[in-house]
Amino acid sequence: MKLLQYFRLWLACARYSITRTMMFRFDFLMWGLVELFWMGVNVALVSVIYQHTDSIAGWNKYQMLLLVGSSMIVQRLLMGFFWSNLFELGRNIRSGHFDFFLAQPGNLMFMASTRKVELEGILNVFVAIAIVVYAAGQLQLHPSATTLALYVFMILCGLVIHYSIVALSVSITFWIIKSEGLEHSYFTLTEFSRLPREAYRGLFKGAASAVFVYALPVVIVSNVPASLLIENALNVTNALWLLAVTVLWFALAVFVFHRGLRRYSSASS
Amino acid sequence: MLPALTKYRHAFLVGLQSNLVYRWNFAIRAFFSLFHLIVVFILWNAAFHGKTEIGGFNLAQTMTYFITLLVLQFFISAFSEDYQISEEIRNGLINQFLLKPINYYLYRFSIFVAARIVSGGLALLPILLAFPLLRDLLDFPTDTWRIAYAIPALIMSAFIQFTIAYCFGLLTFWFLEIQSFIILSLAIETLLAGMVFPLDLLDARLFEISQYLPYYYQMYFPASIITGRATDQAEILRNLGIQFFWVVALLIIAQVLWKRGLRRHTAVGG
Repeated sequence: MKLLQYFRLWLACARYSITRTMMFRFDFLMWGLVELFWMGVNVALVSVIYQHTDSIAGWNKYQMLLLVGSSMIVQRLLMGFFWSNLFELGRNIRSGHFDFFLAQPGNLMFMASTRKVELEGILNVFVAIAIVVYAAGQLQLHPSATTLALYVFMILCGLVIHYSIVALSVSITFWIIKSEGLEHSYFTLTEFSRLPREAYRGLFKGAASAVFVYALPVVIVSNVPASLLIENALNVTNALWLLAVTVLWFALAVFVFHRGLRRYSSASS
Repeated sequence: MLPALTKYRHAFLVGLQSNLVYRWNFAIRAFFSLFHLIVVFILWNAAFHGKTEIGGFNLAQTMTYFITLLVLQFFISAFSEDYQISEEIRNGLINQFLLKPINYYLYRFSIFVAARIVSGGLALLPILLAFPLLRDLLDFPTDTWRIAYAIPALIMSAFIQFTIAYCFGLLTFWFLEIQSFIILSLAIETLLAGMVFPLDLLDARLFEISQYLPYYYQMYFPASIITGRATDQAEILRNLGIQFFWVVALLIIAQVLWKRGLRRHTAVGG
């Protein structure tokens, strides 16, 4: 299939999802509020902690807000486009409903991860963007067009990394069927992405710090684009590292998914 | 009186057994809360850089607060009680309680107590394993009077936690899907119960307001007694009074919801 065809397919699914969402408007409103409130919790933490200190690992309040906002954009994008698909994927593998996808023409991983679009997640992306814009305004940043383009690109890299991590953990269902606590582990992991990278240095020395920052890709996912915006200058090493990590994790996720697929034997029901 | 107790003792024992089935769930959850603790530590460690105190407490005292919350959570928090109750209403299991001389609230509460004994016990394992690392961060006050206040505060907190979850579960009588309500209220509870930051770091006025809300008494209040963030005994006594008010108020709300809900209930299945 051509790229354009995939895009059309995705568009059809998205249109269907949005129609469906509009059928359950109250639900949509509630879930939109859920995400909004959780973002509020994080913003509240930043504002309260900065009432008592001026700097966390060298980041001031609005820099921190920009970091938290960047991390939220990535997370909301994941929620909007992939989360419920991936979450259901695990359930479908367990229940045997995954057969339904096997019968579809097209790349399986694509079909399984893009079936639904969650409108409330996508709307909250704009709230997260507003937080970043507000923080950037307070910091009086004037990013160049190149910086902005790079920022967007890095956020998308971040989305790929988050997608890969979740897809990878869901793929484990092919082997162990019962994969509990997935949701929990993902949200715990994203907590690390809201911390400035420099904060890790104070904690561990040398190699341990490197492991923490680089092995846990969620830390660079938010830190690299946020630093780019704040400094309005590209740190080439960091950017390349982010790109490498993106490619690596995506490749790994694709590989594990397809390996797992070979083990899929449907379910008797 | 005695036979009544026996009924719920059995519910409690069954609760113990059925929760032991989920031992891995609890253990995994406790394990991940250690990761959460790492995040909390990294953040506050960085915030304390070049400072000896924030809001009148040093780093060890602040971490003691968060570690205490973590442990308390497994002993007094409601975990999935709301979902379980919702499920029982939806699939008609609740119908049997309408015919038998069993109070549904007390039945669920007995199971809740059993569940917390299991989860609390299991959560201690990873925490004991991490204890050598945590030891330097623990700095508890030594006043013995605190115990006298902490015990009733903890018991009432458990009641508030469970009753709020119970009420959310009962919403199933009106709404098909209650998950969004639960997660929405969880965000509010997490913030206003002091899970994100100690509430005393709020502006004085906001802190005052928070003391009149039930969330304050879900977690922050007993934790503040145990970790020394609450110092004024007269104020603690006053807050115990407010906490008691909330326990009673929530019990009344639960009872009203139950009565009203049953009127709408059409026993499906059985």
